[in-house]
Amino acid sequence: MKTAGFPLALVLFAGMAAGQQVKWNYDKLAARASDSVDVNLDGSVLRLAAKFLSSDDPDQAKAKKLVEGLKGIYVKTFEFKNAGEYSPADVESFRAQLHSPDWQRIVGVHGKEDGEDVDVYIKPEAKGIGGLAIIAAEPKELTLVNIVGPIDLDSLSELGGHFGIPEVEVEKKKEK
Amino acid sequence: MNLEDEIRTALRRKEPSPEFTERVLARVSGMPVRRAPRPWVRWVAAMAASVLLAAGAMGYRQYQGERAKSQVLLAIRIAGGKLNKAQKRVQMLNAAHRNNS
Repeated sequence: MKTAGFPLALVLFAGMAAGQQVKWNYDKLAARASDSVDVNLDGSVLRLAAKFLSSDDPDQAKAKKLVEGLKGIYVKTFEFKNAGEYSPADVESFRAQLHSPDWQRIVGVHGKEDGEDVDVYIKPEAKGIGGLAIIAAEPKELTLVNIVGPIDLDSLSELGGHFGIPEVEVEKKKEK
Repeated sequence: MNLEDEIRTALRRKEPSPEFTERVLARVSGMPVRRAPRPWVRWVAAMAASVLLAAGAMGYRQYQGERAKSQVLLAIRIAGGKLNKAQKRVQMLNAAHRNNS
């Protein structure tokens, strides 16, 4: 067991040293969810995917540009049959890691009508944004996003309105 | 006749009949000849196997790439959708705040 402990500790330390990927155990939530989406894409898979994204298709070209410098994309979505099947405590370990000085919460909104809370965290770096984390909690759905690496939020938001999701009009500042 | 005589008789050298050689040669000439495969056949077989392996590897790589691509698009759709929603909320709150003030 001691021999297995050292590599494990090394891996955990490497993850902590990277300080960007949010580690979280979601087994309990996955067991309770009626449906779930689990996307784990590390740097090598993202590079492979970028090769298959078309430069001719405008959306895919934007997606290609967006993922080229990324080190990882991790998305978990859990859908529940009934409201209240998960509690804020279930995501507390995820949220707690975002309370470190490395992360900064830039948006925290609470929807009174639909009961959806969205918290957006970024990892500021000298050259821009070095990581992104999103916690979107609805009564019957919980989504956790962690993007590792330099990310352009405007491009990501813009692409969020494509690929089948109707784009939400966002007021943009007009350059004079 | 004792046992030794029987053995000696049985093992005594017998000359073949005069037509024996002709009969054997006639039989052999009628049999199909089994030759070793020519070298080029081996090369073709090896090349065909290599092409099949390469095609399989390329097909698997293509499958992996397409799968990675669809996962990236799904992840962007989910993450971007949530971010887009949050932005919309902020814009709405800003607009409401401006209208109130």
